[in-house]
Amino acid sequence: MRYSTGGYLLGETGKSIWRSKMSSFLSCATTALSLFLLGIAFLINLNLNFMFTVVQNQMEIQAYLKRDVTEVQAAATVEAVRKMPGVSEARYVSKADALEELKVMFRDKTAVLEGLGNENPLPASVRARTASPADVPKVVAEMKKLLTVDDVIYQEEASRRLASLGRASQLVSLGGMLVVGLVAVMVIGNSIRLTIDARRHEIGIMKLVGATDEFIIGPFLLEGMALGLLGGLLGEGMVVGLYTWMVGGLETVLPFIPIAKLTSRTAVDMLGIMLVTGVAVGVIGSVVSLRRHLNV
Amino acid sequence: MISLRSVTKQYGASLLALDDVTLDIRKGEFVFIVGPSGAGKSTLIKLLYREETPTEGQVIVGGKDLGKMRRREVPFLRRKIGVVFQDFRLLQDRTVGENVAFALMVTGFTGRDMTKSVTQVLSLVGLKERQDAYPGELSGGEQQRVALARALVRNPDLLLADEPSGNLDPGTSMEIFRLVERANMYGTTVVVATHARHIVDAMRKRVVELRKGAVVRDVRRGAYDY
Repeated sequence: MRYSTGGYLLGETGKSIWRSKMSSFLSCATTALSLFLLGIAFLINLNLNFMFTVVQNQMEIQAYLKRDVTEVQAAATVEAVRKMPGVSEARYVSKADALEELKVMFRDKTAVLEGLGNENPLPASVRARTASPADVPKVVAEMKKLLTVDDVIYQEEASRRLASLGRASQLVSLGGMLVVGLVAVMVIGNSIRLTIDARRHEIGIMKLVGATDEFIIGPFLLEGMALGLLGGLLGEGMVVGLYTWMVGGLETVLPFIPIAKLTSRTAVDMLGIMLVTGVAVGVIGSVVSLRRHLNV
Repeated sequence: MISLRSVTKQYGASLLALDDVTLDIRKGEFVFIVGPSGAGKSTLIKLLYREETPTEGQVIVGGKDLGKMRRREVPFLRRKIGVVFQDFRLLQDRTVGENVAFALMVTGFTGRDMTKSVTQVLSLVGLKERQDAYPGELSGGEQQRVALARALVRNPDLLLADEPSGNLDPGTSMEIFRLVERANMYGTTVVVATHARHIVDAMRKRVVELRKGAVVRDVRRGAYDY
């Protein structure tokens, strides 16, 4: 028979996780839930960025032309806008086109249109899109300089709202993550406490024969880390599974809603964040419990 | 080796476990601490391996003042001290060999050195053949021999025993004490707190008697009673 220190740490960790299966399972599950919420926050962020890009790309800048602008001047204006750096597309919308658009938009509310009589109060306009949302302010400024242009409007408000909606939902999910994360720390702490109780006799002997505090707490820290790590894996699985399932469903039911695909790169990034956070939760839980229940 | 200077140990407001104890024990000595229950014998032993610290006075072991010793130095003190208790304190889910190896493992011994030391010390206490048995399969006397082997496996400078024969019949107790005496002959200082009158009388070692926390007698080659 040989006696070795080699497998001691791992052996102890495995044994104690197995010995308190229920508590270990609960620890993993709450950690997983917390990290699941973290993953949701991560995916909300991913989707907001994605939607933001999509919506901004769809956003048109409208330059209303002055009333006295001729067809020739209007054509020249469109040309000038088209040549501006950052502009991907520009087109002319005449007074008549604008009225047609209005009629389509309000086809159910004929009263609005009747109120107009035979007048067409709508101005002609040049509508432009930019290649990147970042180019919008620059293009707007350029357009305002044109003599034929009366006023330039673009949907600044829409992008601002989208951004604040995004921030709000992220805050909610991150808040949820913190709360559940705190619960996870406590549940892991409790799991470690059970291990401490189960091993109190052994720890007494360890101290008696001259084990250092570091040696004594080793297996406990490792147990907390292992529980956190397992929680991280479980959380990632939950997020990826749910998201893939949801995206599949939504794409058939609501094909016009832009949803970001979860690439393997993103999934790996997320896994990294989850494992690191899981281990941190595990270590914090162990340390809190060790400080409270074990005089080391 | 050991020097207690006006040591007082008070638990809470009312319990005075040791009252102004001054005592010197030289290297290589064998000392029995005797006295009725509650006289302070266990407290004295606990002070020596720094399970407790004195309320007043100094406890010096191996040149170190244990009252001033920093927490992180304590494990290193204990590596030079073997301790044996009445209740053996063995790990029931580990074999005899593993129990003894435990004392080496927690202090960083590895592989071959550990295996060799364990086998040697188990031969010394006569349990080499039983090293794969579990404590539950052993008699009380055998379990105490395992505990003794664990205490001795690192060749400690000091061996402390708190009622080591408290759970054993007289014949078995004598076996244990013969082993302790053997360790003492190899140079280990021994301090034993005991009620075992027949053993103290038979071995004729230095006897320190405590009553109500105070030393009332300290004689060379003494007996349990006057």
